[in-house]
Amino acid sequence: MQFWCSTIEVPWTWNFRAYPGIWAMVAVISVPYLVAMRRRQGPNPDASTKTRFYVAGVLAFWVATDWPLGLLGASYLASAHMAQYLLYTLVAAPLMLLGVPEWMGRQLLGKLRIYRTVLRLSRPVTAGVVFNLTLLFTHSPWTVDTLRSNQFGSFAMDIIWLLSGFVLWLPIISPLPEMTRSQYPVKMTYLFLAAGVVPAIPGGFLTFATFPLYSTYELAPRFHALAADTDQQIAGLVMKLGGIPIVWGTMLAMMMKWMAEPREAPVPAPPSAAQPG
Amino acid sequence: MLRSPAMLAAGLACATLLAACGGSDEFEGEFAGVDLAIPLEKPDVVLTDTSGNPYDLRAETEGLLTLVYFGYTNCPDICPIHLAQLSQVLDRPTMPDNVEVIFISVDPERDDPEGIRRFLDNYETSFVGLIGTQAELDAAQIMFDVPLAQREGDGADYTFGHAGQVFAFAPDGFAYSVYPQGTRQTHWVKDLPVLHAIPAENVGNSSAAGRSWDLRADDEEVE
Repeated sequence: MQFWCSTIEVPWTWNFRAYPGIWAMVAVISVPYLVAMRRRQGPNPDASTKTRFYVAGVLAFWVATDWPLGLLGASYLASAHMAQYLLYTLVAAPLMLLGVPEWMGRQLLGKLRIYRTVLRLSRPVTAGVVFNLTLLFTHSPWTVDTLRSNQFGSFAMDIIWLLSGFVLWLPIISPLPEMTRSQYPVKMTYLFLAAGVVPAIPGGFLTFATFPLYSTYELAPRFHALAADTDQQIAGLVMKLGGIPIVWGTMLAMMMKWMAEPREAPVPAPPSAAQPG
Repeated sequence: MLRSPAMLAAGLACATLLAACGGSDEFEGEFAGVDLAIPLEKPDVVLTDTSGNPYDLRAETEGLLTLVYFGYTNCPDICPIHLAQLSQVLDRPTMPDNVEVIFISVDPERDDPEGIRRFLDNYETSFVGLIGTQAELDAAQIMFDVPLAQREGDGADYTFGHAGQVFAFAPDGFAYSVYPQGTRQTHWVKDLPVLHAIPAENVGNSSAAGRSWDLRADDEEVE
């Protein structure tokens, strides 16, 4: 029995496959959270809402990682691989961040002694660069074909994707206010550049590539007769277009919040010295 | 402050570029496939095609680039991958037109001509399917110098361990390389035009030691 989804050389079937390592990982990221939320003695505002966000994020992580999507992405379809990526970075990561209360975030970063590192990563330029370089690196043919071929590599790739998703969203929805940009135009510009523009580049490569780029998917037993070229074109479209609803939806929501912000009243002009009277 | 992210960026960018540029398109031998030390002359095999007619491999494919593969229609993995790859590669506009793909079934018990035809039509209607008696198929595999297909497992859903390479016979009737499991489309696209360009009139003149054509010249033309 395998503990994590990785490349297998048998034909695809819809017969369920168990990956206990994935279940253990889901437990590791959810049980301590739920216990901490329940045992919290001090103030814990919006606890139920935050818990729902976090649980939804963990469920998105589970769906992206486990059978069937996890196995399809690790072994059969480049398009499933891209769908996984979007789920990790644009669904699971932001939902989990939204679910972490400030007190828990501070405790966690303090215990792990990574507060300063995370604070640096939360700067928009740094976050954008790290997120997009991770994207480019983890989608290069060598990386995909090497890491997906074994369970440890496949595990590493999934976790790197989730972490890069956290980095992407830190400047926008970090639980710690000092890590979040306060100005909506800055947040919108950052999100547009970091998650809307750069990912279109590898997406374009995949869509218009002359040959299948990834040997993992080119030489895999076919999934319902879907040709490798077609699968790769779908993968490119998923990469280019799949994030649009989330990225543009978030930007729209930020725009509306920005418009609703109370504006400072214009400063009245000082009384003129030459005022007649 | 940006120094460490910038260094990380540079490192990752270099790794990505190296990964993107390296590897798959670099070939060690004359062909992207596995070069045969001694070219294999197209065996003198007569089997039965999916219309029920005798098919003389040498006579029917004389002067044609011919790709021969042993497999069976219930094959769960390698046969569908090879055939799908060939189908996609041969559909490319730069590929030669008159390439004959021959699929020889090693499962005479379950593969009847109609079944083989239906199976091949999933990939390409022009692919030729051949079948024979067990003795004829064994003789054919011996002539191709491959291990005899071995039945694995019991019951109706048994499988076969069988030769996994595609033999590519140039128009002169010789195979200079074979294409095992894992052959990528880029490999086929590099080699097929080169093999196709080997003139048919070289029949009988080619050998490992003295070839009357220049692979390198053809190679450069293609690229």
